[in-house]
Amino acid sequence: MSRFFRWQGLAIFFAVIALLMTFVYFFADTLVKGGIEKSGEWYLGAEVNVADVEITYAPLTLNIKGFQATDIDNPTNNLVSFSQASVGVDIWQYLFGKIYISELNIVELRLDQPRTSAGKVYRLVDEQSLEEQGSVDDSVLPKLDISLPKVDDLLKNSDLLTVKHGKALEKSYQEEKQKLQGIQKKLPTKATLANYKKQIKALGETKIKTLADIEKLNKDFKALKKQFKADKALIAAAKEQVISSKGLLAAKTLALKDSPNADWKNIESKYQLDKVEGADFAHMLFGEKAREYYGYADTVYQKIAPLVISSKADKKNAADKANMAKNKGRFIHFTEQSPLPDVLIEQANFSLVLAQGKFAISGKELTHQHWVRANKSTISVESNNVKGSGELNLSLDFELDQKQVIRSKGKWQLNKLALEKVMLQQSSDFTLQLDSGMLSGNGTFSLLDDQLTSDNELMINQASYSGNGDSHLSSLFIDTVRSLQMLALSISAKGELTDPKFSISSPLDKQLKKSMMKQVSKKLTNFKADVKAGLNAKLTKALGVGSKEGETLVDVEALINDTDSALDKFIHSDVVKAKKKEFEDKQKKKLEDKLKKKLGKLFG
Amino acid sequence: MFTLLAKLFHALNSESSTRQISLAIALGFIVGLSPIFTLHNIVFLFAVLFLRVNIGGFILAWGFFKGLSYLLASLIVSVGESLLTAESLQSLFDMLYQFSLFKLAHLHHTYTLGALVLGCLLAIPLYFVCNYLIEKYRTHVKAFFDKFRIVKALKASKFYRVYSNISGQGDMS
Repeated sequence: MSRFFRWQGLAIFFAVIALLMTFVYFFADTLVKGGIEKSGEWYLGAEVNVADVEITYAPLTLNIKGFQATDIDNPTNNLVSFSQASVGVDIWQYLFGKIYISELNIVELRLDQPRTSAGKVYRLVDEQSLEEQGSVDDSVLPKLDISLPKVDDLLKNSDLLTVKHGKALEKSYQEEKQKLQGIQKKLPTKATLANYKKQIKALGETKIKTLADIEKLNKDFKALKKQFKADKALIAAAKEQVISSKGLLAAKTLALKDSPNADWKNIESKYQLDKVEGADFAHMLFGEKAREYYGYADTVYQKIAPLVISSKADKKNAADKANMAKNKGRFIHFTEQSPLPDVLIEQANFSLVLAQGKFAISGKELTHQHWVRANKSTISVESNNVKGSGELNLSLDFELDQKQVIRSKGKWQLNKLALEKVMLQQSSDFTLQLDSGMLSGNGTFSLLDDQLTSDNELMINQASYSGNGDSHLSSLFIDTVRSLQMLALSISAKGELTDPKFSISSPLDKQLKKSMMKQVSKKLTNFKADVKAGLNAKLTKALGVGSKEGETLVDVEALINDTDSALDKFIHSDVVKAKKKEFEDKQKKKLEDKLKKKLGKLFG
Repeated sequence: MFTLLAKLFHALNSESSTRQISLAIALGFIVGLSPIFTLHNIVFLFAVLFLRVNIGGFILAWGFFKGLSYLLASLIVSVGESLLTAESLQSLFDMLYQFSLFKLAHLHHTYTLGALVLGCLLAIPLYFVCNYLIEKYRTHVKAFFDKFRIVKALKASKFYRVYSNISGQGDMS
C-alpha cells in the first residue's frame, strides 16, 4: 500500500487545513475590515475607514464599528458614516454563491458630517459638473428693482410720445401755415376782385354802335379772361396745398391723440407694472427650494442606493458586467424549492441622524432580483422629531423586472413640521425669508423605469416672513407675502428622475397674485391717474395750439373758395354775348322800321 | 524556486516512476486551471499529498498552469457557460443543484465548472504525453546533454550544489 499512498501526506493535509482555519479564525476580523475599506474605496473613489470589525460565528454576524466614507466632492466631510452596524449573513448561502442577509441593523447613520481629518480622494472629481450644480440660478424672481418715479419728473421727460407728437404737430402747423401764407399772398385780393368786377361792368356799359365795337369788346373781355385763368391756376395750387396740409395735420393729430395710451404702455413696461398680473409667484418663491430639496434626495438616492437604479442608467453597468462575466464567469442558478436572489437583505433597520432630525428607516426584501421570489422591496421611513416636532411617515415599494426596469410607488405624510429661517429668495437687491411656519403635507410618487410622477400637497400655517427689497415693487411683493399667514402649495414633478420638471400651481399663486394686485393697484391707482391726467393735459394743450392754427387754415380755405367762385363767375360772365345780342336786336329793329316805312309808302 | 526545480530535475533523473511525475503534472494542471479556493481543489490537494506523486512537479505544474489559466480564461468560461446553459443538461443540473455539495463546490459557476471539466479532460492526454516525454528524456536527452561542456560548467554552479544536496537527502516521491 505504501507504494501508492503517502500516510504522512494525510497529516500534512490536515495540518494545512487546520492552519488555514486557524488563520481565518484569528485574522478574519482584520481581513474583513480591510476588505470593506478597499472595496468601499474602489467603489466611492475616496478614503473609507472602519474602526473595528467583529465576527461571531453562530450565527455568522459581522459587527462593524465606526464606518466613515469620505465624500469625494468634499473630502473634509463624510458622505456617509455610522457608529455601528450588524450584518447577519447566512454562511451556507454565501458559500453557495449568494449573499443572504437575514437582518441588517445600522445605528446612527449620518450623512455629510465633518471628518476629524480630510479623507484621501483617489478619483478625479468632475469640477465642471460641480460648477454647474453650484451655479443655481438666483434670478428666478424678475428684477422688481426700479422704483416708481415722480409724476412731474415723468411728465417732463422729453421722450414721452405725447410731448414729441405735440411738438411735431405744432411744428407742422407752423410750416403749413407759412406755405399757405406764401400762396395767399399770390392770390387775387378783394380789391383785385372789385377791380375785375368794375372792369366787367365797364365792358357791360360800353356803347356798341358798330361791329368794330363788338370786336373791341370781345378783345378786351378775352384779355380780362386770360387774367382770370392765371388767377384760377393759383387758386388750384392753393387748393392742393390746403388738401395736403389738411392730410398731414390730420395724421399728426391722430398720432398725438394716440400718444397718451402708448406712453402709459411704455411706462407700464418700463416700470414692470405689467408683470404683476402675469407673474408665477408660487414658482418663483418655492420652485428653487423644491428643486434644492429634490437635489438632496437625488444625491442620497444615487450614492446610497446604487442597487436601485434605472435600467437606462444601468445599461453601461450591464455591459461591463457582461464583459467581466466573459473572463471571470458567473453563477447560474437552477430551479430550487425555495429560490433566493443573488443578493437579498430580508430585513434592514437604519437609524438615520440628520441635522433635520432622527429617522427610523426599515426595509424588507431588499434585492435587485424581485422576480425570483415575486416579492416587492418595501421601505418605510418614520420620524417624530423632524426639526424638533415634525412627524414624517413615508412608505414605498419597488421592484425590478428581468429587463432591469424599475417600478416603484409610494406615499408620504408630514405633520407639524416647524420651519425656521428658510431663505426663499436671496439676490443682491431682493431677499425673502420664511422666519417661521408650520408645515404639513402629503403626497404620492411613482416611478416607471426612469420616469417620475409625483403629486404633493403642502400647507404652511402660522407663517411669518421677513425680507428686504431695494425697489418699490419688491417691497410691495414682500409686504404681500408677509400678509399671508396660510399658504397652500401643490407641487408636482414629472419627467426623468435625474431632472424632473416641477410645476407649482396652487391656490397660493392666485392668493399671492390677488393680494399683490390689491396692494399694487392701491398704490398704482393714483400714480396711473396722475400720469394719465398729465398726459391728457399735454394732449389738450397740443391740440389747442392745433385748433387755433386750424382756424387760420379754415380762413385761408374759405378765402380761396370765395375767390375761386368769384373768378368762375367773372369767367362765365356773358357781357360780350349780351352786348352782341343787344347790338343785333338794335340793328334788327332798325331794319324792320326801314322796311315798314318802305312798305307803307308802297301800299299806302 | 531553485529547490523546486532541483527536485523536479532530480525526480526526472532519478529512478522514480515516470507515472508519479506525470500524474503530479496532470494534477497540477487541473488545480492550476481552477480558482484556488474551491472544494475540488481541496480534494485534489488531498490526493497529491496522500498519493505518492512528485510534489515538486505538482507545485511547479500548478504555478505554470495557473499563469496559463489567465490566457485561457475566456475559453474556460465559455466551456462552463455552454455546459450549464445546454438545454439537454438542464435536468441533470436541476437535479445536482438540489445537493448542497454541488453548490458548495461552485460547480454552478461557469469558470469553476469549465476549469474542472477542461482540466480533467485534458489531464488524461497530458498524463500520457508527460510519460512519453520523461521516458524519452531519460534515455536520450539526458545522455546527450551530459556530453556538453556547458552542462559540465553548470554542474559546478550553485544550482547544481542545491540539486546535489537534494539528491543526497532523498525525496518524498
